[in-house]
Amino acid sequence: MLVTEERQFRMLHASVERKRSKALDDEAPLVLRVNQLQIALIQQKQSRLLVQDVSFSIRQGEMLALVGESGSGKSVTAAAIGGLLPKGLQSSGQMWLHHRGLHELDQGEWKRLRGKQIGWVFQNYQGSFTPFMRIGKQLLELLRTHESLTKKEAKARILDWLRKVGLPPERTYASYPCQLSGGQRQRVALAAALIPGPSLLIADEPTTALDVVTGEQMMDLIAGLQAETGCAVLFITHDLRHVWRRAERLAVMRMGRIVETGKTSEIRHRPAHPYTRELLAACPRLWEPGELEERAVHV
Amino acid sequence: MKIPLFIFMGMVLYGFFLILAFTGSWLAPNDPLLIQMSERLQPPSFTYPLGTDHLGRCILSRIMAGTHTTLGLSTAVIVAVAVIGVPIGFLSGYKGGRIDAWLMRVADGAGALPEFLVAVAVAGFLGPGLWNVLLAIACVKWIAYARIVRGVVQTEREKEYVLASIVSGSSGWTIIRRHLLRQAASPLAILVAGDIGRTILLLSALSYLGLGAQPPAPEWGAMLNDGRPYFQAAPALMLYPGLCILLVVLACNMVSDGLRDTLDVRSKQRGIEI
Amino acid sequence: MSECMQVRHLSKHYARGGKHVIAVDHVSFTIRQGECVGLVGESGSGKSTLVRLLLALEHPDQGEILFQDMSLTRTNRRVLRQLRQHIQVVFQDSTASLNDRLPVWRSVLEPLDNYAHVIPVFFRGVVLSRREQAERLLNIVGLAREHMDRYPHELSGGQRQRVCIARGISLCPQLLICDEPTSSLDVTTQSQILRLLQSLRRQLNMSVLFISHDLAAVAQLCHRMLVMQQGRIVDACKVDELWLAERHPYTKVLVSAAR
Repeated sequence: MLVTEERQFRMLHASVERKRSKALDDEAPLVLRVNQLQIALIQQKQSRLLVQDVSFSIRQGEMLALVGESGSGKSVTAAAIGGLLPKGLQSSGQMWLHHRGLHELDQGEWKRLRGKQIGWVFQNYQGSFTPFMRIGKQLLELLRTHESLTKKEAKARILDWLRKVGLPPERTYASYPCQLSGGQRQRVALAAALIPGPSLLIADEPTTALDVVTGEQMMDLIAGLQAETGCAVLFITHDLRHVWRRAERLAVMRMGRIVETGKTSEIRHRPAHPYTRELLAACPRLWEPGELEERAVHV
Repeated sequence: MKIPLFIFMGMVLYGFFLILAFTGSWLAPNDPLLIQMSERLQPPSFTYPLGTDHLGRCILSRIMAGTHTTLGLSTAVIVAVAVIGVPIGFLSGYKGGRIDAWLMRVADGAGALPEFLVAVAVAGFLGPGLWNVLLAIACVKWIAYARIVRGVVQTEREKEYVLASIVSGSSGWTIIRRHLLRQAASPLAILVAGDIGRTILLLSALSYLGLGAQPPAPEWGAMLNDGRPYFQAAPALMLYPGLCILLVVLACNMVSDGLRDTLDVRSKQRGIEI
Repeated sequence: MSECMQVRHLSKHYARGGKHVIAVDHVSFTIRQGECVGLVGESGSGKSTLVRLLLALEHPDQGEILFQDMSLTRTNRRVLRQLRQHIQVVFQDSTASLNDRLPVWRSVLEPLDNYAHVIPVFFRGVVLSRREQAERLLNIVGLAREHMDRYPHELSGGQRQRVCIARGISLCPQLLICDEPTSSLDVTTQSQILRLLQSLRRQLNMSVLFISHDLAAVAQLCHRMLVMQQGRIVDACKVDELWLAERHPYTKVLVSAAR
């Protein structure tokens, strides 16, 4: 038992120590560009704007964190990018994935694009898998809808990915979803999202349903695999703690608008918008000894 | 709360027949049992608004008197069944353990028998008659009520609001009264409304077969049977009782379906997650 | 400070699928009067079972819980009912914690309905109708009169949790057990709820057992903390001793995750 603790501890520390090796590369190609996105809720002939004038872009290998409290419109924004808007919501504006205009796609093209080009990890890991099928079989089906592989090749690739997300591959492959813990299921969901090799990963509150330690490990994993695969990540959260040390850029959303956007480190130290300051203050943090006094001096 | 039109129409229709059930015997223009062979198979007239049947009895009077038997008894039996089934369900769900297992085995056994067959069997044993049929229906129907209540109790009792209620000092009885009964109320209301309709159909069907109400008692199902030989010459004999059955069952189903759609408070919040 | 609650060698196991799972394993601790104690542990560490034992919703296999020198575990129903008045709870899931068919003001008054003779300190010297009492309670936790007649699903998560807190403090309990009250809320609401709990604890001078998987939240609110892992209390310390080197390795993992 002590051994696993030591390992957890080391893993966490390694991630703390590890600086993101690649410097923010302004030359990297744009993966996603969103321009003037508006989303309206249409109910009984009345329409209400949920998201207004949202514009941002993500470059290859970059992580953009979209931060805001519930109801700020961050999840619908993600849903619009993935083409998963529920009925009754209508989006307008332009979105490009590489050079394809997402706003021009029809349902069939969406279907081919989703999963292959855009991977998803949801908050609700319970809903990601059918409870009646073994994990391996579900992943196998998923992979073979996107690529024509033999069963053997596909299995090898899945086992490889399960290893990458830090799970015992053979055992996980043969398990039913209910036999895994929340954190493990979320790892499988991450593997499922990354197996087809998407160029954009949308992580919609992947840590909210997990406890703090498991959540941190999950985020480390996402950051690590992002560095490995070079995909762009849109990370949606309400918890700024997961954003530091991981996301290069940060967009703060409130009541359907982006109120502040910029480099994470700059916003952390010099938040411009009052709401951002409020969010920062709300973040529960464990102050290191000495840090409090240091802050007091600064203020 | 605004009552939707659908339920409102059903309730008005049902209420109309329910009032008839209590006042029908007084309001009837003629004696429903009076046989007058000289007046048989009369067309509608001022004295007999819907005409007379094969024994010269006033059809309207018989229908009005029959409302009492069909509708009144069906309603009464369902209410009685609910009064039996609901406490059993609470007992079973709340106590759990051996009482629960025992009660549910009984319910399984009784539930395996279709009520129609039980009614026929009871009629065979105890002889045909309205009360025997009602007894048979009661024997089978209570199970559904006990089951629904038990199900509600079992899903709700582990929820935090029940735990919080225990922690804040509520006794078992208080929890049932304050929380669980409220949770069970809407599925029960839906079931009661639907069951009244189904019981009316069942009662009429059994009477039509001669197992329920015995002649000369006026009952809609029995009236249908009476009119069968004269169907071609005098369709009114079957038309009016049939129409009444149709309308009452329709009313019950409208109320039941309407309740299903509106009573569920939680279904309102089902919308778009933002 | 006198002792509010003493827990001695508490154990509880479950038989799940033929397996013998020990959820709480010889747990002992003390909560003093007016003190706020944090209990930290990840999901599955036995926190929830411990809460159910402390609330006397379940019976322990072994051990004893003393509340002001009276046993919660070996007592009859009448005494238990008397003791329950002093121990109240706020659960994590605010949706499940309120009956969705009752307007919130009825939920808030539930404890006072059960103990009609209790007049909490904030009602002393005034005669209030039941609705006024509910309004006063909701005001204390920062809700307005307009929220009274709403149903739980018409409120936000934070507002619902405030209603639960209002219900929890309505009897002025000696001990308020908060079982992950902030875990399913977003950060801004979390910090508001934490501040509310903090000020209520000071005003009413009650003891609080604050359970969370988030060390940072615990550190913000509590004086002392217990770290639970696999049913056992593996570490106990004051909040400012968290950074010391002699901490249990698991505590260190939690610390580095909360930084």
